[in-house]
Amino acid sequence: MKPAQSRPGPEHGAGVIRVAFGPPTDRRSLLDRAHRGDIVGALGRVSSADTGPRLGVRRRLLALLAVMGPGVVVLVADNDAGGISTYAQAGQDYGLRFLWLLVLLAAALLVNQEMVGRLGAVTGAGHARLIYERFGRRWGAFALSDLLVVNFLVIVTEFTGIAFALGYFGVSRYLSVPLAAAVLISLPLTGTFRRWERAMYVLVFVSLAAVPLIVLARHHPTVVTAVASGSRHGPAGTVLVIIALIGTTVAPWQLFFQQSNVVDKRITPRWLGYERAETGIGTALFAVGAVAVLGACALACSGGPLHGAYLDAGAVADSLRRVDGSWAGALFAVILLNGSVLGTAAVTLSVSYAIGDVTGTKHSLHRSWRDARRFHGSYAALIILAAGIVLIPAAPLGLVTTAVQALAGVLLPSALVFLLLLCNDQAVLGPWVNPGWLNLIAGALVAVFLILSGVLVISALFRGLAVGWPAALGAVVVAAVAGAVCGLRLTVRDTVPPGQREGRSCWTMPPIESLPAPPASRTRTAGLVILRAYLLITATAVVIKVVQVMFGQ
Amino acid sequence: MKSAESGSGPEAVFTDAVAEQLADTMFALSTPSRVRILGCLLGGPRSVGDLTEALGMEQSAVSHQLRVLREHGLVRAEKSGRQRLYGLWDEHVSTLLQAALDHAARPHPAARSAASGSGEAAQGVS
Repeated sequence: MKPAQSRPGPEHGAGVIRVAFGPPTDRRSLLDRAHRGDIVGALGRVSSADTGPRLGVRRRLLALLAVMGPGVVVLVADNDAGGISTYAQAGQDYGLRFLWLLVLLAAALLVNQEMVGRLGAVTGAGHARLIYERFGRRWGAFALSDLLVVNFLVIVTEFTGIAFALGYFGVSRYLSVPLAAAVLISLPLTGTFRRWERAMYVLVFVSLAAVPLIVLARHHPTVVTAVASGSRHGPAGTVLVIIALIGTTVAPWQLFFQQSNVVDKRITPRWLGYERAETGIGTALFAVGAVAVLGACALACSGGPLHGAYLDAGAVADSLRRVDGSWAGALFAVILLNGSVLGTAAVTLSVSYAIGDVTGTKHSLHRSWRDARRFHGSYAALIILAAGIVLIPAAPLGLVTTAVQALAGVLLPSALVFLLLLCNDQAVLGPWVNPGWLNLIAGALVAVFLILSGVLVISALFRGLAVGWPAALGAVVVAAVAGAVCGLRLTVRDTVPPGQREGRSCWTMPPIESLPAPPASRTRTAGLVILRAYLLITATAVVIKVVQVMFGQ
Repeated sequence: MKSAESGSGPEAVFTDAVAEQLADTMFALSTPSRVRILGCLLGGPRSVGDLTEALGMEQSAVSHQLRVLREHGLVRAEKSGRQRLYGLWDEHVSTLLQAALDHAARPHPAARSAASGSGEAAQGVS
């Protein structure tokens, strides 16, 4: 074993840097020793002493296979119970109209997840802890409680999905839900990262069942009329579906999960290129799954009597069976079940990671139950609690799904604002801060998400005031431009002297408590205050909207 | 300690499980701020406020590192009146710290240059 690095990063030195043969990069803010060492992935292993250059296609491919995991898992887990039922709803009620949105969302996901992957590899700290340290205790507590509430609701929807899916095969929910809970709790208990990741890979593989689903659905004759027929919903309903789609796709837990999982997988800046690549692979898998489900439901249901009559995911499986045959119904149920299980595993884990991260307790999949009781305990407790709620008879679970996605969509901008500020914090990311072009895109994205939440508020509070498409589109464009400009202004200039870019792969964040406080800037503070007020208003608006829907308006 | 059933050699004592446990303990010493907190506690139990003042660190950072040290069984908290005092777990920890200090003071060949920054140097000790 080599001793921990006891020298400053080579990028400070003046001489020639041969990164390729440098010592292993050590991330100095780790909280758990299990986060240090060899990468032991489901499909391969990379030694921590492996610092030489990776030459040749084969060796690079092997490294990619070993590193692959966090991005693929998080992005495929995105097609979870909430995701699949939202795609199904959008497809059934609106045809193929929202396909473009899925493509845009995939791009947004890639941008976001690349940023958190980078934060994890370079800092070695979880997302929650970074927010605590860089924005103070209040924002940290806000972000964490946010994550807890939304995640808990999300896990409830996952178990609803499990109940619906196995209900399709005639299994009672009083059997299926406890069974699924037991399986999920046992997944990380073994205390080996590799075994957990292999289980995740099986689920990722099964998620590809969405491809045959769309193939089966293609033979439906009423397709053309269906797409043209439009929807029976008013513009406010359309906007709500858009926000639900965004809320289900781009969710805060993904940020927390991938960052912690990258740390736990021991990925250092040395492997960041591979981490980016696997995030890209994950994005592609996400897009395939989402487009297939939306497309299949659109082709099967729109134009017919089922068009505009979305009930819940279980009903979708039934209607698919009637239209496309029993195989299609079964496939949809399997996809739903698989997505729900994968989603629960990832969402719950993001909470356990975050709790360990903030409290300084051991939190790693490399640790067994005996070794990290609080980590496994919080994971199990959350699952049992959520499963218990689903078993309460006559809970309005279909409505919960919609409410959760909308709530998450409204709360998302705050998470993205933190993310963007962190990625431009030079004390945290050093030479790895966002380049200008990325800030341009990310800034525009955050602003668009903000404005869409704003549109939701308007349509919820002033019901008579229909938001026309031109107005909404105009607002989005203006916001995107403003956000892009703000993003550009955040950019740290001259991060790395031109000759020393190579040294980046050795740079890690210094011990987090030794960092200088973030430079006090009035725009930053003001922005955070506005964000807080905005969040309060939008969250209230969603609650009002949900209550209105509940009482049958 | 746990598996001292066979033999008496050191390899019988340092089993995988024990090695893991020891490495975990040493990990707690692998950050300068935690080492400094432990150093502060050598003199006896202190409150978080005391430590914050003595070390010139943020209070939240001290609390956080104390939690890590407690998790690793190096520090324990006790209540005295209204205050919560933190102290070293037992005399083993102070022995360990003293030994580490002596070890670092010894001039040894592996020490490359003293110019590598005082804050970072403490990390190499562990």
